[in-house]
Amino acid sequence: MSEKSAARSSGATLKAEGGVAAALVGWLKEALEKKVFDALLIPVEVPAGDSFAYLLLQDPAILDKASPLPPVMPVQGGKAISRLTMRGNGSKRVAAVVRPCEARAAIELSKLKQAHLDDVCLITLDCPGVLPLSDYIGDPAAGAARFAEAAAEGDRSPMRPTCQMCNHFSLLGSDLHVGTLGADGTILIVPGSSKGERVLEGMGMPVDAALDDWSARVEEAEQAQTERRRQAHADLRETVAGAENLLDVFSSCINCHNCQRVCPVCYCRQCYFESAALKLPPENYLARAGRKGALRFSPDTLLFHIGRASHMALSCVSCGACEDACPMDIPVGQVFSLMADRAQEALGYVAGRSLEDALPLVDYEMDELHQVEQPYVEIYCKQEVQDA
Amino acid sequence: MPESLVISKGAEETTRELLRSLLESGKVSAVLALGRTGSGGEGVAYSLFTDPTAFEEGGAACPLFPFMPANAGGLLSRLTLQGPPSEPVAAVVKPCELRALIELVKLNQCSLDNILLISSTCSGVYPLDAGVDGALEEKLPGYWEAVKQGEVDEDVRPTCRACVNFVPENADITIALLGEADLDTQCTLHVNTEKGAAFVEGLEGASSSGELESEPVQRAVGQREAFREELFAGVEVGMQGLIRTFGRCIGCHACKTVCPICYCRLCYFDSQDAERSPEFYEGELQRKGGLRVPPNTVFFQLGRMAHMSVSCVGCGMCTDVCPADIPLSTLFSKVAASAQALFEYQPGREVTEEIPLRTFEQEELVQVAT
Amino acid sequence: MENQAFTPRIVGFLCNWCTYAAADSAGVSRFKMPPSVMVVRVMCSGRVDPLFVLTAFFSGADGVLISGCWPGQCHYQKGNLHARRRTALLKSIFDTLELEMADRFRLSWVSASEAPRFVQVVKEFTDQIEQAGPSPICDELFL
Repeated sequence: MSEKSAARSSGATLKAEGGVAAALVGWLKEALEKKVFDALLIPVEVPAGDSFAYLLLQDPAILDKASPLPPVMPVQGGKAISRLTMRGNGSKRVAAVVRPCEARAAIELSKLKQAHLDDVCLITLDCPGVLPLSDYIGDPAAGAARFAEAAAEGDRSPMRPTCQMCNHFSLLGSDLHVGTLGADGTILIVPGSSKGERVLEGMGMPVDAALDDWSARVEEAEQAQTERRRQAHADLRETVAGAENLLDVFSSCINCHNCQRVCPVCYCRQCYFESAALKLPPENYLARAGRKGALRFSPDTLLFHIGRASHMALSCVSCGACEDACPMDIPVGQVFSLMADRAQEALGYVAGRSLEDALPLVDYEMDELHQVEQPYVEIYCKQEVQDA
Repeated sequence: MPESLVISKGAEETTRELLRSLLESGKVSAVLALGRTGSGGEGVAYSLFTDPTAFEEGGAACPLFPFMPANAGGLLSRLTLQGPPSEPVAAVVKPCELRALIELVKLNQCSLDNILLISSTCSGVYPLDAGVDGALEEKLPGYWEAVKQGEVDEDVRPTCRACVNFVPENADITIALLGEADLDTQCTLHVNTEKGAAFVEGLEGASSSGELESEPVQRAVGQREAFREELFAGVEVGMQGLIRTFGRCIGCHACKTVCPICYCRLCYFDSQDAERSPEFYEGELQRKGGLRVPPNTVFFQLGRMAHMSVSCVGCGMCTDVCPADIPLSTLFSKVAASAQALFEYQPGREVTEEIPLRTFEQEELVQVAT
Repeated sequence: MENQAFTPRIVGFLCNWCTYAAADSAGVSRFKMPPSVMVVRVMCSGRVDPLFVLTAFFSGADGVLISGCWPGQCHYQKGNLHARRRTALLKSIFDTLELEMADRFRLSWVSASEAPRFVQVVKEFTDQIEQAGPSPICDELFL
């Protein structure tokens, strides 16, 4: 991950008076007033105070209830950006304040032609993770306190399982990245593109602060998290590998498809797994039930999950929105993050790293991936023996 | 005319034996019922069983389990959408699932031909989150105690505690459960239709002519009506109330997906028509200074109410599946109760009773137009 | 958000054969009425999906009017009878949830020959909305 940190060598600074969130919100207000951008997309506390929702706003007064890094992620920011820009950008330049995984999802969605980022300035922050939604809604005040404490101490244990093993929490592929990790009264605002540079110019902020200290802290944390992720995936693989284990993991799945609905990358208006293709005459279901003695109904549970993975794993940003939304507490985010990492690795791709990276299934080389042309047994069994 | 059969076995055993014998004798080719899943049996899901041994003691099937992973009305619609099965299929469903099924028949989404409907007087189901990791097993003894007393365990879905339509008289066979003190040793099967009678022919039991609406059932109706009023009174009303309630709605539409009545393959709110253009966003920015993204949160909820509340059976799937713990079923049931009262309509009461929005009278509702 | 300088914005779904014709006739006859109704011509009041009414309100309409042929006179026989049921349902939803929209939503029957009646309906409804004030959701961000 050091390539990211090395990509930029300097940033602007902002005094974190009254705390990071307050300083940032003040900065954003000023930017709006100065028309450095025309509108802002940022999480704002909802009227009942029990959640946060993305608001598109141009009235700076609304920012009083805004939170650049709320304790929860009810709607994945990438999805919000996609909904906003699905039909184009219009005449407004919008700045979107999102977490790194949300920005990465937006980048993937742009490649998938579900979002237009030309007039969108992606502003990301160092992310400590988010609490699972159900751990917050019941008692928002306690949740907020727990989140603040954990974030301050770099403790990811109360966060979503996918956040606990996240190693992409500090992105330098966005237009502007706010470096808060270990910030001591001063936060860094690092431009990652000419769009970001223009914003800092418009705010009259010189890009002359060295990033070394912060970069070093980020790199250290990223390395620790990468190891955590590797270990978590290895442990997880034990519990999910093999047909019986996988069936156990999904034994309580009720086929509600929440996971697909909240996933930022799953953009299909009508999912294949809900289409007429899978609505079959009764004889089909009865024959299958006859063959096996019983057929779980509605059927095709594993088909849905593995099929969905085959459709979106290459763009999965491991945000964990799916797991948050699952009513049966299935570790679907963790399972998908495992599949996604392996799939992206196999094709030399990192979801959301850059708009310039072509989608692996759209791109190809004449001379590559010869190993998958070989017979399965020859290659994969050999690997397992080597690994063991 | 069919009557009732009193079987000298407990309800659990009677039900399993009935289904086992239906399969074994070939009278039905399959049974849709709840069954345990996973190698440890921790999960519970509906299955189409064809193997009679599943209904033996210790088999995977658990037809009377107080759980609803999906509304079986919707499942039967999935099964018969393209036509009825060529051979009879039995289905063990809760009363609200039966009512949803009948609504779906009226909506041309389901067929009743060759489907044997078995239901029971219902004491509710536990919420989905109570069924994670086999946690429900320890609740079962308490649940069945409550059933015998004609009561409802407090921990079941709130909409179940508030349900007054728990006596399914239009099933082919109704198993009397609620208020039956001797449920462990004896079970009464009320045979309501000729179809039902044909399927229980040969079953060993004493004939009787008892009423489904026993005294405990009537008492239960009163209790649940009282709770229903209390539950509905707690709903936050007014636009401010809706904004507060749906502040944490994430627009996932899971409620719609699990709703048995919402059958549209492509919901209006997922379609291109509901997508918003940059001009819309800019217009709203101009008008109000800001708006929520994705938009249309309260619009979706009210729109869904407008589309389905006349057929809402109050099963409670929506509340259970909501990632934001919004008490949707309470809200929707409250609105549905008024909408249904307006047309003197009860969803699922009678398959020939047309859905109010698909018909009209020449002279009615005079006060509506001014 | 003051009531004085407030011209209500009312979305009117007028059926082509009856009310729209009446409105047209009123215009041709130079009848005076407040410029509050934004007309959406539909072929029949039965075309109006409850979602149209909701969309109008969420887009900022202060009031919504559906107007069509008298029962028994529908150009398509029964469209207006369906419209009446849908209106009743929507009003029931608004009433149950105590939404102000209940008082800002009206169904009328105005036939093609009743231009003065159309004018009266518009005047009455406009008055009613003026009294009620601008839509209470016009400033809501969290819809």
